[in-house]
Amino acid sequence: MNNPLPPLEPIRSAYRLQYLTDEQLDQLQEATLDILENVGVKFPSEKALQVFSAHGAEVDHNTQIVKLERDLVFKAMKSVPRYFRMAARVPEYDLQLQDGTTYFTTDGCGVQVCDMDSGKIRPSTKADVGMMARVADYLPSIGFCWPMVSAQDHGGTAPLHEIDAGWNNSVKHVQSETIMGGRDCEYAVEMATVISGSREELRRRPPLSLVVCTIAPLMQDHAGIEGAMVMAQAGIPVGFLAMPCLGTTAPATHAGAVAMGDAEIISATVLMQLISPGAPVFHSLMQAWADPRSGGYVSYARDARSRYGVVEMAHHWGMPSLGACYGTDSIEAGTWQSAAEPALDPLLAGLTSPEIVTGMGLARTYTRLYPEQIILDEDLYQRARTYLMRMEVSPETLALDVIRAVGPGGHFLGQKHTREHIRTSLVRGVTHEFDSNGKYREPREVARQRVKWILENHHPAPLEKAQQDELTRILAAADRELA
Amino acid sequence: MSEELLKAMAQSIIDGESEIAADLARQAIEAGLDPLTAISKGFVEGVNQVGDSFACGDVFLPELVMAGEAMKAAIAVLEPELKKRGAAREVLGKVVLATVEGDIHEIGKSLVGTMLTASGFEVFDLGVNVPADQILAKAEEVKADIIGLSALLTTTMVRQKEIIEAMDARGMRNRTKVMIGGAPVTSDWVEKIKADGYSEDAIGAVNAAKLLLDAPA
Ligand code: B12
Repeated sequence: MNNPLPPLEPIRSAYRLQYLTDEQLDQLQEATLDILENVGVKFPSEKALQVFSAHGAEVDHNTQIVKLERDLVFKAMKSVPRYFRMAARVPEYDLQLQDGTTYFTTDGCGVQVCDMDSGKIRPSTKADVGMMARVADYLPSIGFCWPMVSAQDHGGTAPLHEIDAGWNNSVKHVQSETIMGGRDCEYAVEMATVISGSREELRRRPPLSLVVCTIAPLMQDHAGIEGAMVMAQAGIPVGFLAMPCLGTTAPATHAGAVAMGDAEIISATVLMQLISPGAPVFHSLMQAWADPRSGGYVSYARDARSRYGVVEMAHHWGMPSLGACYGTDSIEAGTWQSAAEPALDPLLAGLTSPEIVTGMGLARTYTRLYPEQIILDEDLYQRARTYLMRMEVSPETLALDVIRAVGPGGHFLGQKHTREHIRTSLVRGVTHEFDSNGKYREPREVARQRVKWILENHHPAPLEKAQQDELTRILAAADRELA
Repeated sequence: MSEELLKAMAQSIIDGESEIAADLARQAIEAGLDPLTAISKGFVEGVNQVGDSFACGDVFLPELVMAGEAMKAAIAVLEPELKKRGAAREVLGKVVLATVEGDIHEIGKSLVGTMLTASGFEVFDLGVNVPADQILAKAEEVKADIIGLSALLTTTMVRQKEIIEAMDARGMRNRTKVMIGGAPVTSDWVEKIKADGYSEDAIGAVNAAKLLLDAPA
């Protein structure tokens, strides 16, 4: 039967770190404004160009390049909400974005799955999306779900099938990073309305949000931006994700790359505000590196500190931030690389306090799913979450009476105080689970078993039959029109 | 004099100096130097050196790309002269390269293009988000030996299949081979859509292209 709702455990850090000084933040913002005003951003969408024109931006209809003066930028940015709600199928899991609370999600849209038993690697399917949504639904570290892999058995409408699998297997908020195009997004709005019940309720408690990538350098995607406009007008939160790659699609220096990425994000955010003032928009910037030897995409250079400063850039604009953690370049789960790369991520992200963060569970630079990896990634998460809590210092925890009673020499095992506290003082990670011989087990094995346990035992409340049928009907129509 | 000129040509490529390379090409024409000699004994020497240094890890991608640009600038000056003399420079083969429609992932495709160019192929890079018709028309126009198709999205991979089917329909498969790539592409997919070649990276793409044309690896 359906289980009670597992708890949500966002990171609520007791500490705060400032990476960029106020002066640096101003410098970066000035650079963004300079780029927007003097270089411009390409918007290959007639609809977008018309909106910009109507609001007095400098639009070149031949090159499709839009230049924005600072006054227009600041005026439009005034209506971006600093916080908003990302709602779930159940109100208990609604995420009210706020200062000092950070919700994590899964990684998204991998293309391959490694079977846990056979070790065989195969293309991903819709069933895999559902399977991982169920695992994510159970984990307290996961505040909202990205469909983790591509529903490749559904061709051109895979992105819509992915959110369908999300809602059918989880009661948490679903965030897509693959739906593109005006028509596709209209279908997505229709599907989200089925979950919400009405258009008004959808606006008030949107169970869906969308991530759209900008294209470095300084371009928007036609389908991406047209889809974003549809979502924004329906009140569905949209985030713009810039992925400047140092050396290929961006300057090879951190500051230049993030300033350029910021300009891409802000230009799109301005458009959303012009077309739908007050539309919920989030900011996301994940720079990467081009390996100068191969051109390969490196998501984790050893010096990846600019991953965290970008959160402050979002906040400087008065926008919530989707931070970037995890997504190792390691081709396998359970390797040194797959742990070393993201090890500090949740900790450092927690210290800068992005409102939302992606994403646990994929390897091979966001392309391969090892189901057990989400458990290993969560282990790192839980370490960070607790490291960021204050230590309790009280008469009970100081235990002076007990220290006095034992005195120099001896031990604490015979103390009531010890008996009371020892069970909770050692928090077990996946690293300290016993096997039947009383030996610690291999963490990856523990993780595999945990995934299996969740799949056997955790059954989130299903959608009502009428809702399921309605989603199926909409999908069939989308398949006919768009596949 | 010509010995020195040839050396300077090679050096302009190594330094990635497009303007100097074009200048030297003009000087060669004025001095009556055979343009084919200028290419093979001058500029190509530079390309080869950069290629070797790249393979050893002594220079990096920007050097390779800038050398390629300089080479292009020199060829652009020499090409009309070649035509006038009824000569043609030797290329390993002609490749029409594109990222398929609906897909804007550019980096991998461009790297493949850079490596193919550096290895002696003539590459027509049509860019990203390119409709099938445009790719096929270009391939027919230049009598391409190979069409290279990049797709990074599971939703755009099907375009690779459609293009191969269109080539079948147009009877192009005998003269033109198809090579595919991109993150979601697997050897199963290659087999399924009956592509001729595939590679997971740019160096492999060069080998695959050579294999398709029976050129020495
Ligand atoms: C960088 C990147 C982007 C950049 C692209 C910038 C640019 N100008 O190119 C941006 C941010 C714009 C982007 C946008 C999107 N992206 Co993207 N992107 C990537 C990423 C991280 C790396 C790709 C890359 O550049 N790799 C580096 C190069 C060197 O490698 P490569 O492309 O694989 O190419 C090599 C080989 O494949 C091979 N090869 C490539 N082409 C060819 C061709 C031939 C003929 C041959 C022989 C070989 C060959 O050789 C190349 C050189 O070694 C991948 C993840 C990944 N690991 O692949 C996601 C990824 C491909 N993107 C993804 C998605 C979802 C998107 C978006 C839909 C997101 C959104 N909501 O907006 C959009 C789509 C836009 C569009 N219309 O196409 C998904 C695709 C998932 C799926 N199921 O299809 C991936 C897998 C990431 C993920 N898990 O989410 N993306």
